[in-house]
Amino acid sequence: MFADAARVRGRAASVAAHSDQPSLARRQGHTDRPRLGILALVVTTVALLALVAPGLAPYDPRLSVAAPLQAPGPAHWLGTNDIGQDVLSQWLYAARATLTLALTVTTLATALAWGAGLLAGLSARAEAPIVAAIDLLLALPALPVYMLVLTLIGPSQLHVALMLGLLGWPAFARVVRAQVIATRAAPYVEAARCLGASPIRIARTHISPATLAVFPAHLVLTLRFAVFAEATLAFLGLGDPSLSSWGAMLGWAFANPLLFTSSAWTWLVLPPALGIAALLLVGGLSATARPED
Amino acid sequence: MTRLLLRYASLALAVVALNFILPRLLPGDPLDASTPDGLGSAVSTLTTDTRARLRATYHLDQPLAAQLVSYASDLARGDLGWSISRDAPVGQLIAARLPWTLALVLSSLLLAAALGGTLGLISAWQRGWVDRWLTPASTLLAALPEFLVAMTLLLVLAVGLHWFPLQGGRSAFAGDGILDVIWHLTLPALTLVLATTAGFMLLARGAVLGVRNEPYLVAARAKGLSETAVALRHAAPNAALPILTLFAVRLGHVLGGALVVERVFAVPGLGLLAFEAVRARDYPVLQAIFLLASLGVLCAMFALELLYRRLNPRHVR
Repeated sequence: MFADAARVRGRAASVAAHSDQPSLARRQGHTDRPRLGILALVVTTVALLALVAPGLAPYDPRLSVAAPLQAPGPAHWLGTNDIGQDVLSQWLYAARATLTLALTVTTLATALAWGAGLLAGLSARAEAPIVAAIDLLLALPALPVYMLVLTLIGPSQLHVALMLGLLGWPAFARVVRAQVIATRAAPYVEAARCLGASPIRIARTHISPATLAVFPAHLVLTLRFAVFAEATLAFLGLGDPSLSSWGAMLGWAFANPLLFTSSAWTWLVLPPALGIAALLLVGGLSATARPED
Repeated sequence: MTRLLLRYASLALAVVALNFILPRLLPGDPLDASTPDGLGSAVSTLTTDTRARLRATYHLDQPLAAQLVSYASDLARGDLGWSISRDAPVGQLIAARLPWTLALVLSSLLLAAALGGTLGLISAWQRGWVDRWLTPASTLLAALPEFLVAMTLLLVLAVGLHWFPLQGGRSAFAGDGILDVIWHLTLPALTLVLATTAGFMLLARGAVLGVRNEPYLVAARAKGLSETAVALRHAAPNAALPILTLFAVRLGHVLGGALVVERVFAVPGLGLLAFEAVRARDYPVLQAIFLLASLGVLCAMFALELLYRRLNPRHVR
C-alpha cells in the first residue's frame, strides 16, 4: 500500500540500470521537478503550529478538562472527546508529533538509502548483499511487517520513527544505485580515471554529486510516506498512546461503536481528517509532476 | 529460469527465517515481568514452576537451533501456531476469514485495474475533458490514505443517505443471504475501487504518454489504421507492463487483507483479524499473516517475472 508506487518505480529503475532502453523511471517522474514552493509553505505552517502549539493550545491535551462529548462552544472551540479531553488542544499538539516523526524518518531513511545506494553502485563486494537486502525488504508487504514489529517492540513514538526509517530506505537506494551505475560509465568519470584520480576521489567529487539530482523528488515522497504511514498506523492503534496525533484521534473516535448515533462525529472525526487530508494532498500535489507534453 | 527460481526460493527462505528470528531478535521477553511488554503484570503472579512449564511449552528453554528445527517442522506440516487471545489454531482462524477478504479484495482489484487502465488510456490518448478532470481527481485520490476515502463514503452514503449499512459483514438474524452480504460489502469494495483505480489510471496514463510519439505508432497510422485501432492494438499493449506490475504487486498483497478498509467497515476478513490481533498483542496470528502476505507477494512477483519474459523478450538478460 505504502510502497506500491516506490516498488513499481524501483523495479523500473533496476530494469533501467541493466538495459539500454529509455528508462521508465525517467519517463514517469524523475525528470519532473516537484513544486517545492507549495510544500515549503505547508511544512512551514505545520512547523509553526508545532512550535507554538503549547502557547496556542488552551488546555493540556492529555487531561480530561470537561464533561465528555461536549459540542463545540466558547470554552471548547472544537468540543471535547469521549473522556473529556479538549479536541482543539489535541489537534494542535498532533501537528507537532507529525512533524517530528516525519523529519526523523526522512533523515534516517535518506541517509541509509544514499549510503547503501552509493556503496552498492561503487563497490563490487558490497553490491550483492545490499541488492539482496533491497530485494528482500521490497518484497515484504509493508503493513503486516509494521504491525508485527510494533506489536513485538511496543508502539512508542521513537519505535515508530526508527522502524519506518530503518525499513523505508530500499526504494530510493535502488534509484541512487541506478544513478551511480549510469554515472560511473560517463566519459568525464572515465577521463578522471585516466588522469589517475583515486577511486575515493572519483566517488567523492564526480559520482556522489551526480546523485543529488534525484534528492528533491525523493525528499517530498519520503515526507509524504512518513505522514501517511504514521496516520495509518496511529489509526490502527499502533501509535504512541501518550501522544495525540491526527491518525490516533481518528482511531480513538472509531473505537466507539456508537460514534455515528449522535452528532459527535462532526467534531471528533472532521478536524483530524481535514488535517491529514490537507497535509497529504498538498504534499501529493507538490510531488506530482506537471503533465508532460 | 533456474536462476530466477533460485532467487525467489532464497527470498522465500529468507522470509521464513525472518519470521522466526524477528520475535527473538527484538527486545522484550513475554515471561519477564520487569519489561513493560509481553504478558506484563500477569507474569509476576506466575510461580517459577508455571513459568518453566510455559517456557517448555513454547520450546523457549531449548537452544536456538532446536527452536528453529521445531518451528520449521511445524510449518512444514501446515501448523501456523496457536492463537493467544482466541485459544484456537491460527490456521483455522485464517481459513474462516479468508473468503471475506478474497471476495472483497479480488473483486475490487479486478474492477479497478480494468477501469483504471481504460480511463488512463482514454485520458492519455484524447487529452480532452477526461484528462482535464480525471487526472487531477486521481492525483487527489491517490494522495489520500484509504481510511479517509472510506470515512468520506461512510459519512455520505451510510450516515447521511442511509443507503448502505454502517458496518459488519451481514445483518444480524438475517440468515446468510448472498444479497445481504453483497449489500454489506458494497461500501468497502467501492472504497478499494476508488483508491486503487486512481493509481492504475495515473500509471496507465503515464505509460501511454510515454509511447505516444514512438515511430511505430506513426507507422501504424501511415498504414491507414484508425486512431482507435492505433490506440488499442499498438499503444495499449506496449504500455501494459507497468499496469501488469502494479496488478501483480496488489494481487500479492491480497493475503495481507485490506486492513484499513476492513477496520473502518468492520468486515470480518483477514485485515480485521490482524487488527484484533494487534489489540490483543496476539503475535502468533500476526506472524502467520505476515508470513502468508510475504509469500503471497513473492509468488505474485515470481509469476510476474515469468510473464515479463513472455510479453517482452527484451527483458531476458
